[in-house]
Amino acid sequence: MIEVQDLQKSYGFARALRGISFSVSKGEVVGFLGPNGAGKSTTMKILTGYLAPTGGRGVVNGHDVVAESLQVRECVGYLPESTPLYSEMRVDDYLAFVAEIRGVAAAKRSSKIGRAVELCGLGAVTGKNISELSKGYKQRVGLAQAIVHEPPVLILDEPTSGLDPNQIVEVRGLIERLGEEHTVVLSTHYLQEVEKTCTRVIIVHQGEIVADGTAAQLVSSRPEGALLLTIRGPEPEVLARLRALVSGADVGADADAVAVTERREGSVDYSVAVSSVDGQLPEAVVRQIVNAGWDLLALRREQASLEDVFRELTLTPTAEASRG
Amino acid sequence: MASRSLVVFRRELKSYFLSPIAYVFGVLFLTVLLFLSAQSTLVHNAQASMQAFFLYLPWIYLVFLPGLTMRLWAEERKLGTIELLLTFPVQPGQVVLGKFLAVMAYLAFVLLLTFGLPLTLSAYGSVDWPPVLGAYLASLLFAGSFVAVGMFWSSLTKDQIVALLASVVSLAVLFLLGYPSLIEFFGANLPPIVADALNGVSPFKYFQSIARGVFDTRDFVYFACFCGFFLYCNVLVLRVRRDSKG
Repeated sequence: MIEVQDLQKSYGFARALRGISFSVSKGEVVGFLGPNGAGKSTTMKILTGYLAPTGGRGVVNGHDVVAESLQVRECVGYLPESTPLYSEMRVDDYLAFVAEIRGVAAAKRSSKIGRAVELCGLGAVTGKNISELSKGYKQRVGLAQAIVHEPPVLILDEPTSGLDPNQIVEVRGLIERLGEEHTVVLSTHYLQEVEKTCTRVIIVHQGEIVADGTAAQLVSSRPEGALLLTIRGPEPEVLARLRALVSGADVGADADAVAVTERREGSVDYSVAVSSVDGQLPEAVVRQIVNAGWDLLALRREQASLEDVFRELTLTPTAEASRG
Repeated sequence: MASRSLVVFRRELKSYFLSPIAYVFGVLFLTVLLFLSAQSTLVHNAQASMQAFFLYLPWIYLVFLPGLTMRLWAEERKLGTIELLLTFPVQPGQVVLGKFLAVMAYLAFVLLLTFGLPLTLSAYGSVDWPPVLGAYLASLLFAGSFVAVGMFWSSLTKDQIVALLASVVSLAVLFLLGYPSLIEFFGANLPPIVADALNGVSPFKYFQSIARGVFDTRDFVYFACFCGFFLYCNVLVLRVRRDSKG
């Protein structure tokens, strides 16, 4: 549905996109993540035909974004960042305008507008001026104008930014519903949003793609989290026993991997930073501790989250950036 | 595809009347214009003539039209609506044309409202209608040239005040190049080719010629070329922005 190859964009001397490539298949809901200025909006502006790339190639629904810009725009629905709308217009007039300029045949116009109004829950406000609406409703109008011509591809730039938590949940639900019929590319700062609504995540950093996959894949590609233990017992002996265990097991770690993280009243927290846990290790640990007569108060795995992945990938400068 | 221009045209025109602009501009424009011309016609000349009206009109254009055109693109850019407008499946030229025609339709409507003046005069004396109608046509074409220039400036900036000042200054220069006393001055001091060229670019010269009731095809061709040139520059600005910054 969307094919991007080595896409580049420079604003004067600043390189906003340093050659990104990805593809999106029909029916996917892809979330673009990245810090501000990473190149998310630039990519979307190029895919919608608002900006021309300085290099590389983008193809949407079989049409080149530069050579066949008009055809691309016909099959794309776009919600720009901060949802710009003609606020002096009424909701129904505005949607009629968009449907008409998007080339929806006069005979089908009212039914398509009706569908967009219903999907976006705008029924109660169609007769109101856009300027009178709350931010959540304005966002829905923005989404309604993006889907009114039933485009195969939807491009939504930060569809939930600036909304309150209730509105965010509503808009997310709406995007999920839209994802059933449209191929969706959205950008966001909310990581939970990606985990909840997107089938795939692309993390962009300094104009390059640093990760591309499902949220689960990205999380599992990280080194496994440490084994965390809270034990009541003599600290030096426990430490020695754990170190011996780790050295003995084939878990890609040595005795240094075991550390005391916190001393509490009557118990101590230990962390065993192993890169992969052999299924035997937790069992062995538990057995040894119980046999020694100590109390095991807690045993859990440190959970890597998408947030950890995001921070790790976007806090370190990329090779290209550190060179230049 | 011309119909997409029409969609832009209708939305723009409707928006003028949904916001205070159409009313505020219309009332101020008509008040100043009619006051000045009524005063000099009825009080000073005491003649049933539209002469004063068409004498003041270009000056009032110079003050008012940049105020009307400054927002055409600058506001869209500032609010971000330009991003949607230019990602609809419409050619930049169609959007430019739609916007231009919407302003022109609005101005034609405002000029129509001044028809009360010649009608009133005709009650008191005989009005020579052909030159009056010719002058109205000239006024509309003259307005077109001002709108094309103002809209071009508006496309270059997101700051409406910058667009306003640039329009006023450039239009004042173009206007004065065709002003009789300046033509005389240039004629006396510059080589004839330069003087003719300077005078020849001024829309004011052609306005006066049509307003006099002399219908010369060249005058109409001039206005078509003048507006076409600036509207085309406007399209180029949109293209260049697409390729560079947006």
